[in-house]
Amino acid sequence: MHEDIKSIEREFAEEIEKVSSLQEIEKLRIKYLGRKSVINQLFSKIPHLSKEEKASFGRNLNILKQKITECIDSKVSLFRDKEEKIDVTFPAEGIYFGRKHILTSVSEEICNIFEKIGFVVVEGKEIEDEWHNFTALNIPLEHPSREAFDTFYLKLPQDDKGKYLLRSHTSPSQIRVMENTSLPLAVISPGRVYRPDKVDASHSFMFFQIEGFCVDKCISFSHLKGVLLYFAKSFFGDDVSLRFRPHFFPFTEPSAEVDISCMICKGKGCSVCSRKGWLEILGCGMIHPKVLKHCGINPNKYSGFAFGMGVDRIAMLKYGINDIRLFYENDTRFLRQFYEV
Amino acid sequence: MKFSLNFLKEFFDTRISPQRIAHILTMGGLEIESIEQVGDDYIFTAEVTSNRYDWLSIFGIAYELAGLSGKKLKFNLPKIIRTPHLKGVRINIEDKKDCMVYIARLIKNVEIKTSPIWLKERVKNCGINTVNNVVDITNYCMLKWGNPLHAFDFDKIEGDIYIRRAKKGESFVGLDDKEYVLTEDNLVISDDKKVIALAGVMGAKSTEVDFTTKNILLEAAIFSPLRIRRSRRSVGLDTESSYRFERNVSDRLLEVASYEALRLISQICNGINAGYKKTGRNRPSFSKTISFDLSQLNRHIGEAFSSFKVERILTNFGFKVKIKNKKEFSVVPPFFRLDVRLKEDVFEEVARGWGYNRIKEELPPVKPQKTKDELYSFKQKLRSFLANLGLNEIVTYSLTSDNKLSVLGEKSFIGLDNPLRVQENALRTTLLLGMVECIQHNINQKNDNLKFFEIANIYRKDNNAIVEQPFLGCIVDEESGGFYYLKGVAQKILEFLNIKDFIFLEAKEECFLNTLRIVTKEKCIGTLGVLDRETLQKVNVKSKVSFFELDINMAYKFKKEFKYSPFSRYPVIYRDVSLGIKKDVKFMEIENIIRGCVKEFLHHYRILDIYRSKDLSEEFLAVTLRVFYQAKDRTLTSCEVDDLHFKLREKLAHREGVVLR
Repeated sequence: MHEDIKSIEREFAEEIEKVSSLQEIEKLRIKYLGRKSVINQLFSKIPHLSKEEKASFGRNLNILKQKITECIDSKVSLFRDKEEKIDVTFPAEGIYFGRKHILTSVSEEICNIFEKIGFVVVEGKEIEDEWHNFTALNIPLEHPSREAFDTFYLKLPQDDKGKYLLRSHTSPSQIRVMENTSLPLAVISPGRVYRPDKVDASHSFMFFQIEGFCVDKCISFSHLKGVLLYFAKSFFGDDVSLRFRPHFFPFTEPSAEVDISCMICKGKGCSVCSRKGWLEILGCGMIHPKVLKHCGINPNKYSGFAFGMGVDRIAMLKYGINDIRLFYENDTRFLRQFYEV
Repeated sequence: MKFSLNFLKEFFDTRISPQRIAHILTMGGLEIESIEQVGDDYIFTAEVTSNRYDWLSIFGIAYELAGLSGKKLKFNLPKIIRTPHLKGVRINIEDKKDCMVYIARLIKNVEIKTSPIWLKERVKNCGINTVNNVVDITNYCMLKWGNPLHAFDFDKIEGDIYIRRAKKGESFVGLDDKEYVLTEDNLVISDDKKVIALAGVMGAKSTEVDFTTKNILLEAAIFSPLRIRRSRRSVGLDTESSYRFERNVSDRLLEVASYEALRLISQICNGINAGYKKTGRNRPSFSKTISFDLSQLNRHIGEAFSSFKVERILTNFGFKVKIKNKKEFSVVPPFFRLDVRLKEDVFEEVARGWGYNRIKEELPPVKPQKTKDELYSFKQKLRSFLANLGLNEIVTYSLTSDNKLSVLGEKSFIGLDNPLRVQENALRTTLLLGMVECIQHNINQKNDNLKFFEIANIYRKDNNAIVEQPFLGCIVDEESGGFYYLKGVAQKILEFLNIKDFIFLEAKEECFLNTLRIVTKEKCIGTLGVLDRETLQKVNVKSKVSFFELDINMAYKFKKEFKYSPFSRYPVIYRDVSLGIKKDVKFMEIENIIRGCVKEFLHHYRILDIYRSKDLSEEFLAVTLRVFYQAKDRTLTSCEVDDLHFKLREKLAHREGVVLR
């Protein structure tokens, strides 16, 4: 009897070595563990044995059955794994998604930064008149920027606000909002602007600007500096610094141009910043009292600051884009390089 | 504008290093772009802002540098000699608006030679070629004081001097040997016979000072900045002289410059002062008193300057300062600072003198705003939605050509008065043109997956009103999905807008074949279609493209807030039906039959399979549909579904042109 157990074990060991598929294992399972299997037949003999033999034979037979079961189970899972195994080095499925244009993303990101400190977005109009684009901004009639070399005028009948034109900057938004909204104001205004510049690597007759301004009692130049420093650190990173240089704009007094420490060379001087270590990024200042007056705001009671920046230029600086035409060519090989920055 | 260190030292003998000078001036608002060493001199190239004509002179820069480095420049203006009176030459100014003042000095018996070395260096290091001693002296004085001078060969002048507008077609040969044809835009100096100078821009060859010249007439004048700009632009010239006149010159330094030139010509060229004549009157002086309170200044800048500090800064910049009660300031700007008129201008001087970068940074206490542009955030969300949907955003030019617009049958577009090129001489009335160009570019480049959208304004005239309106445009080529892809995009956008009561209405639109209008509440909010072959040809596109345009204002108006609605959890059971549909039967009719027949038990249906025969003569389209049934309140039995489906099949089979397969 005990001999039977041993021979079954041997036989099983030989056979299990030879199996090569799940079906063959199934056959083995039926042969050794099925209802009519040899092991079952041996089990049916137990009642006829003596008391001592019953105990030892039964135990050994159970051990054998368990061994075989385990052996088969592990073989099964081995084959299953093999069957489900895939070549993980195969290329991935092509997943397509769209993206916002880099100019839109940059513009939105800039606006979001200002929105976090309480500014609201108000878009202006692209078709403007001389009053809003120039006169109200204290740009006198004889100013060079009003000439046809620097502004696109439109074939539309002139009215009491002067000739119609395509805005040459986003500053007229300032006037529109101040004319129509009660104080205090903290507004950011992005959009397209137009200038008759011949198209080349750094010029475009259409580009994007963002205007920001804040008017209230007691708004000061140091507030302007604070807001712009907050913006620069949020957008370019904590390690940048700003430099304010006095400048001239008809619509602000005092006026400044703002440079950012070059993010390529960290201020040491490189080809991007023309060895200066600084890159000009925006113009700003305290809103000129005449501009406030033109919008019906008393400059003795209220003051404000304003700033304007070129989105194209900032995007070019941040992403190392060397040709402004890339923005408007819309080649997918360009468009697909950026994702929700 | 170029200036040199040695020249600067004629006024301000400083030991500050050239690099430091560049930094001080840059941070004071006179941006130094480069420094170059030449011999023992340093040449600075500066960018002068348009308000500071005083920086177009060595005098002005020296004054500024002194002020910025905490010192007050000491200088003495010479006593001007205005005798003897110049006789025999009349000076006639046609319009005092074009020329306010004209000073002529006659200097006789000059010896024209090359200049002494020091003079050559001064002029050369400021970027001007040396010519001869007289011309170099006039340039030296211009550089020093900012007032351009001109020397005529007196013996070549015939008769009197006239300052007048040119006659149309009048011509003039300049010192550059080029001939210029003039218009009424040009202001000229002429004698009885000929033009002897393009006023404020360039002298004429005919009266040039050369090595044979004996007597000279020295001109010093004040011309209208605007006139000089128009005049030099009309002939395409830009000279050291016009650059200064365009930005204004000082009345007071005019006499100084003219007198110093006389003095130097006497010294260096042995000339003899033979007459002085001034025509016109100096402009009224602007240097009036500006009053302000120290607290106003501190509030504007956001600092706590002491009155002592403010007084020192302003005094160093040449202001006369009076202080009452330690805080009430009355200041008078120096005579050469015509740009300082208001107290805010004075505040800027204080801020500059203190240093912009030393002013502290603070965040303003921003109060809640009463205005908000809802449409902006709507567009922002729509952009994100479309990008997530798989379309790439593009940005195309708002300008296009009137020709292309006419091709599309547009009449109410707005043209440009002064276009750069004919390709961009009008504002677009549709996003289509720019987007089509983008598709074509990408096809040419063999790029794939061309699914684009743009959100931007379109512009047109509507009777007398000017319309500037935001639109969404989507464009796709045939390879990337074509019409039915765009229809899907449109449907998804309607889902995004939560507009449920819309219909796609078949329509006829100019330039389009296969057009649908999206109509909700009887208003058309968008259209989509395939561009017809003729239009494709006219706009130069070689591939079939589909285009979808949505009126953003309308979409915003009709969009609805999302709200939860309960849904049925009972099982959905489907049955398939295969149909042969005759080509002239619209699928819309099949859909209507399904909706009308299954009614509330219709969960949804979808097309499993469409077989379009390649053979165009094939009359039938083979379509297999899967219809999903569900009840809201219970589980439908298999029998019920069979029953519903059987009725549906019957209805479909009864439709003419539809057969069950």
